[in-house]
Amino acid sequence: MSKAKAYKKRLKEAARDPKISVALKRAIESYRKNVDEALKKFPHTLKLAEEVRGIKEQSVSRMEELTEQACEAIRQNKGKASIARTPGEALEIIEGIVGTGKLIVKGKSLTGEEIDLREHLEERGNEVYETDLGEYIIQQLGIKPMHLLAPAIHVPKEDVAKLLSRVTGKKIPPEIEIEVATVRGILRDKFFRADIGMSGANVVAADTGTLFQIENEGNIRLSTSAPPICIVLVGMEKIVPTIEDAFKVAEVTWRFAGYTVPAYVNLVSGPSKTGDIEKVITYGAHGPKEMHVIFLDAGRSKLAQDPDFKEALFCLRCGGCLYECPVFAVTAGRFGDKYFGGIGAIWTAFVTGDLTDAAPLTYSCLSCGRCKVRCPMEIDAPQMCLELRKRITAKGS
Amino acid sequence: MVRGDGGIIIERVFVSIRQRPIKKQQLVPAGLLLFRDNILSKGNIFGTNSKARWAKGLELPAQAETIFFAGCGYQFLEEAEAILSAVRILDKHNLPWERTFGATQFLNKRGINLGDLYGTIIRRFRRADNPLLSAVEVLRRMDMDIGYLAEEEPCCAAPLYYAGFQEEFAAQAEKTQAILKKRGITKIIGMVPSCTFALRTLFPRGSKGGQMEVSHFLEIVWEKIKKGMRFRLPHQVIVTYHDPCILSRYLCLAEEPRQILRSIEGVVFNDVERCKEEWSTCCGGGGGFEVIFPEISHTIAANRVEELLKTGASTIVTSCPGCLIQLREGVKKLKAKEVKVMDMAQLLHSALPEG
Repeated sequence: MSKAKAYKKRLKEAARDPKISVALKRAIESYRKNVDEALKKFPHTLKLAEEVRGIKEQSVSRMEELTEQACEAIRQNKGKASIARTPGEALEIIEGIVGTGKLIVKGKSLTGEEIDLREHLEERGNEVYETDLGEYIIQQLGIKPMHLLAPAIHVPKEDVAKLLSRVTGKKIPPEIEIEVATVRGILRDKFFRADIGMSGANVVAADTGTLFQIENEGNIRLSTSAPPICIVLVGMEKIVPTIEDAFKVAEVTWRFAGYTVPAYVNLVSGPSKTGDIEKVITYGAHGPKEMHVIFLDAGRSKLAQDPDFKEALFCLRCGGCLYECPVFAVTAGRFGDKYFGGIGAIWTAFVTGDLTDAAPLTYSCLSCGRCKVRCPMEIDAPQMCLELRKRITAKGS
Repeated sequence: MVRGDGGIIIERVFVSIRQRPIKKQQLVPAGLLLFRDNILSKGNIFGTNSKARWAKGLELPAQAETIFFAGCGYQFLEEAEAILSAVRILDKHNLPWERTFGATQFLNKRGINLGDLYGTIIRRFRRADNPLLSAVEVLRRMDMDIGYLAEEEPCCAAPLYYAGFQEEFAAQAEKTQAILKKRGITKIIGMVPSCTFALRTLFPRGSKGGQMEVSHFLEIVWEKIKKGMRFRLPHQVIVTYHDPCILSRYLCLAEEPRQILRSIEGVVFNDVERCKEEWSTCCGGGGGFEVIFPEISHTIAANRVEELLKTGASTIVTSCPGCLIQLREGVKKLKAKEVKVMDMAQLLHSALPEG
């Protein structure tokens, strides 16, 4: 079956699945309500978003230079930093640090998803736990995430109860509170026994080498601080010039993600250290002794050079556009590959795949334009989808 | 795409039509390829031989200061509705509906025009109530002196643009502009939003000078209402309005239709949620989606109708042939038999003042 045919089949099946449309309907309603309230409470956000667009524009045009700067800053903080030009390079670097037979706890990372990081580490004989609740469910079910921020958006509590009963060997009732507590119980000792913790980052400050991680559950905090080694994989487009810029980007990101105020924002700049005994700086106090940051290119620098599409790199991954997309509302993450929706078509074409992978996605865009209205960066994904169609029809002719 | 069983002959036909190997086009959905081939060979999306049948007996002059640009979507409204409905049934049963598009081309090559055939059958069973007839009547009552190019109406080529056929779009746009220029046309009233958008916004992007004044039908009506024209419905009706994406987000015409509805006596206008600025929901027929994913498009249409019916309206008004078809199909899917979907032109026609 051709890629396009297989994709169509998956998309149709998703649209026929009432679990998806019901879950999405609920999610869309609550997202809109949350963002409306958040914007009312913090009305400066819209103005800030404009400023952030300026920051992203500047950052993307200076991406190479800023990446070098961020690497240097992290090294000065006694962390290790490297640039991976391809997914293969990134996996090689990570494999070099991890080796085999390790216990790994992982925060949700789209960039990790992009290079199939978990699957790769598992194949190399490591035990990997996704620690974000939704991602944990997805991992245990052996399925693909359906949303950037809520990967298990389409899995109802009854299915979660069945899954957890299977995992624990005990009867878990379909009550959300009990389900959450059960996963907490399962993962608790994993955090402390883990050899390695992994995560992504929402934004990176080039001047200080600080990684910003926005979260609500506290799993990223535990993943990046409890184990002795911390590895962070992050896309080059996430780097902005200063820590001040990074705060702005972070605030706009979480607000448009529908978190009025997130429970946690982790700022990580280097390995854990102490100078409390005789002022001798010693690494690995309570947090990790080693911190590794891998900046992933994988097509981003090429995308940054393309005037028609570089705007795609401004994406903050807040997921707001997806809640406004009528196609996503009935098909969820099936409208996409590693990245979803209209913007996902662009990322697929340049970063995770090629034009043949992106073609069915770009022809799934209604070009209705509502995603752009929602987008804090005002990314014109429909226009880019049309541009992509142009490239497809012009291919080889 | 349109290959498969018995595809060798069809492929040969395709190659001869396109003058290039099929491989390069395999990524483009069959529905969009059909539109392209129809436009390039016949100058309309349905590939039929006649587009002006609806205007029989209206005696619209070919020469006038202002030209009424009817557009494919309205001219072939009934045919499109019937074909889409059939395609949806096939898609729902997981049948290879794309091949019917190939067959259309195949037959076309042999002188059998499916579009014409459909049209003939449909006209036999259905009363003519095309929104174009209403629009012409409304414009005449506004003392507008309009002409219609009938069979000579050139194609706006918008489907080529949306499918990504940039070169073909540019070439067709140039051809169309040349025809309009040669006829000395300076003012156009567009009916189909995407035609209007193409003529008004997309064409000037690629050409140098020779600008035409392109208005949408709704703008003309609203101007007349502002100058004092009044419409009145014989009975009170609860109406809601569906924004076609191209009108509201691309041509920024969201306020005018609402003002029009509010001004019609007898209309109780209940606006849908999230209609302000550019937040309205697509009907599921944008960007050619309905001929790429017919079944999913139907689901999205029903979702949109559900939103619209929350207003308590019994009539949904819109101003786009694509939206009209989608919403009607959506209403059918929801089995909301009491709900009527109307074009703004039809509503205005039924609210024309006496005499």
